[in-house]
Amino acid sequence: MTTKVLALPSKVPAAEKLSIKKLLRTMWRQRWLYFLMTPTLIYFVVFKYGPLWNAQIAFKDFKPLLGVWGSPWVGFEHFGTFINSFYFTELMANTIIFSVAKLVLGLPLAVIVAIALHETWLLRFRTLVQTAIYLPHFLSWVIMFGVMLVILSPGNGLLNAIIERFGGEPIAFLTSPKYFRWVVILSDIWKETGWGTILYLAALLAISPDLYEAAAVDGATPLQRIWYISLPGILPVIVLVTLLRMGHILEAGFNQIFVLYSIPVYSVGDIIDTWVYRQGVLNFQFSLATAVGFFKGVIGLVLITISNRVAKRLAQQSIY
Amino acid sequence: MKSWKMIFVVFVLVLSQILAACGAPATPTEVAPPEAPEAPAEPTKAPEPTTPPEPVDITMWLQATVTEAGPPPDDWIAYDIIREELGINLEYVIIPPAGDGEAKLNAAAAANDLPDFFQVTSTNRGGERDNLVNYYELGLVAPVDDMFAMMPERTKNHYNNQNLLDLLTFDGAVYGLPAPPSIPKREGFVIRQDWLDALDLEAPTTPEELLAVAKAFTEQDPDGNGKNDTYGIGAFIEGPGVGRRFNFVFGAYGVLDVWNFVDASPDKFELNVRDPQYYEAMQVMVALNEAGVVDPDWPTLSKDEFRARWKQGRFGIMWEDFAALSNKSNYEPFDTNFPDGSWTPLPALIGPGGEAYYGLDDAQFNVFAVSQRAVDEGKMEAIARLLEWIATDGYYLLGFGEEGVNFNLDEKGFINIDGIDEAQAYSAPERQPFTQMRNQLVFYNTLAEISARYPNYTTEGGREMTPIDTYLSFFQSQNWVPAFAKLLIQPPANAADFERFYNEGIIQFVLGQKELTPESWAEFLAGLDGQGAKEYEAAAQQVLSDAGLLK
Repeated sequence: MTTKVLALPSKVPAAEKLSIKKLLRTMWRQRWLYFLMTPTLIYFVVFKYGPLWNAQIAFKDFKPLLGVWGSPWVGFEHFGTFINSFYFTELMANTIIFSVAKLVLGLPLAVIVAIALHETWLLRFRTLVQTAIYLPHFLSWVIMFGVMLVILSPGNGLLNAIIERFGGEPIAFLTSPKYFRWVVILSDIWKETGWGTILYLAALLAISPDLYEAAAVDGATPLQRIWYISLPGILPVIVLVTLLRMGHILEAGFNQIFVLYSIPVYSVGDIIDTWVYRQGVLNFQFSLATAVGFFKGVIGLVLITISNRVAKRLAQQSIY
Repeated sequence: MKSWKMIFVVFVLVLSQILAACGAPATPTEVAPPEAPEAPAEPTKAPEPTTPPEPVDITMWLQATVTEAGPPPDDWIAYDIIREELGINLEYVIIPPAGDGEAKLNAAAAANDLPDFFQVTSTNRGGERDNLVNYYELGLVAPVDDMFAMMPERTKNHYNNQNLLDLLTFDGAVYGLPAPPSIPKREGFVIRQDWLDALDLEAPTTPEELLAVAKAFTEQDPDGNGKNDTYGIGAFIEGPGVGRRFNFVFGAYGVLDVWNFVDASPDKFELNVRDPQYYEAMQVMVALNEAGVVDPDWPTLSKDEFRARWKQGRFGIMWEDFAALSNKSNYEPFDTNFPDGSWTPLPALIGPGGEAYYGLDDAQFNVFAVSQRAVDEGKMEAIARLLEWIATDGYYLLGFGEEGVNFNLDEKGFINIDGIDEAQAYSAPERQPFTQMRNQLVFYNTLAEISARYPNYTTEGGREMTPIDTYLSFFQSQNWVPAFAKLLIQPPANAADFERFYNEGIIQFVLGQKELTPESWAEFLAGLDGQGAKEYEAAAQQVLSDAGLLK
């Protein structure tokens, strides 16, 4: 009995030593893999971890001449300024609405399109569709705005011409608070869904054809094949994408909103990032801008942690 | 194992390339300076003290004169002259206008990396001084008083306006170089004369008549093409609230722009929205929009889109810059589309109270600054040398090109292009990259310049165009509200929120998203007070009183 008790603690450090040694040995054995990883690691250190040092200006009254370190500390003042700002609730609401809507409506659509493309037996048709739906991704939002103006303008827009043909009144889609959110969400889906299918298509192609063949032999219908093979096969990717998007929940697409919004739709279109641009960057309040960035990062981290746990429990999937 | 070794070798090679690329910027700057002086030094092998000094590197950020034209090419002759004659390696960077340029400058300022010499840029018209104040308070810009003696000719022609210098003087020292103001009072109220004639209408003189004419333009097919594709009024948002493209409405009520300069006195200096007449002007705006006589895209249009639309004959009443309207290159597309079309300038509309103000004369001028870092590195003298050269020996080269190749000078000093190849003429689009600095650093509005920039011409349809006589002179002769003092007013601390509340509130009323009633208007004003409007007004009044500008 006593020997056992005594032996236990003495064993633990031994085991630790062993594991470190083992780890080092494994690392050495896989040294080339680690070596191949170094450029990525260097990238992260230089561009992601390095700048974290500068994030301290979120807690400081940043003065360029004094530098990041020399600027005086002000604690949580900038966070207070942001949270107490007149439009805080509205900015948060708009941001989250856009983010969630793009995720909730955009993701299933991308999955459906990917599955449809995967299922089609007309290869040429598939290539054609793929090219067509990838295309908008490569247009900048400035160009997209031009296209949308031609379609949505209440004066001579294509859509309004159709509405008028059917006896309706033209709708100012881009300046009406009633429609603006839909314009943002749908235009984002139009632009990005095609590109979003790539990941799912890749995952679908990784599913072993044997499974489909076996299912066909067993008499499964195409829908059953999708439901029981395709979807479970790409579930890890869906979970991964969703989890990663949770980390960016407070980023609702600055470029898009910045190009599309105008004063009449600020109430439904102004998001955190556009506010930061106006108040932080244009009014030279970089500490405030950084504080908001920090705030967004923390929320993203919390959300990603929670949703990872939830995913682990409910879907037995997680990113770590 | 062999393959692993191969991978390793390849990897090391790739990595060394990447690292070399990362370090690249440092190498040329370190190597270049010794190389440059060596060349002139070698032939004579003279003793070291007499060798010419090393060329000074000057980085200069300016806005473009013609944004779509692009920068001059690297082999531009001016770069060589500046290097050889002035001993300056000039790095000339064109920055975007308005907010984009401001964001770029602010980012550089935050990194304490402002260029040696730069044009201060702002989102808001007249906001350049505010930004300069920011940079001054942060210690990022240097006083330029010493430079004036170093560039006598330039100072005489460009920096001779004491009012402007005073505006840029902080704590007894001048911190910015004010470029001569662009031609003042250069925008105005114009109408399609051919549309008026086609519908047999008189030009409007009051807001009510404006509504009636705009309605006719919208509904009675003034261009006679059988389609319902025209609007009365065209505009876009330029400036706070609905912007100054609706000056013809607000002027009739004496409530132009944000601040009330019409009724300003030492005891009273307020926002225009407090004036009961502003409410009346808003009622007109609401009526115009409700009647559907304003091009409905106006709140989202950019300046370029707006300009494309009047050239396409989409509307017949607008507020426009005289050069954008009538200069040859701007007018040509309109003339091609509508050979019989013509724009007539109109006087201010007369409001019910008899008021008829045209616009706000807020003395626009560009501001240029020298960064403190450049002065610390001993570059001030070189910057002054460059600026003086631009005002003297380099004047024609940077303003028009090479004499005999791109332009001719007559005996009176006026510019012409007689016998010059059309594509080589200083006014040709191909030559625009070579004169990008002209509006920023070269011109100072001499008679010769103005007649070279806005010449009379005959359109292809045979119409005689006289931009200065027809439009500019007319606009300038109208009743403008002097508002020079506006530039002194600093934005409030919560600028983004205040501006949004103000702009959004006004636009919502105008577009009918919120009903305009005395109650809702009072609510809006109360909301503005909640955003600190009273404090903002008090601060503005204080600043203007201190400067002795409220009389």
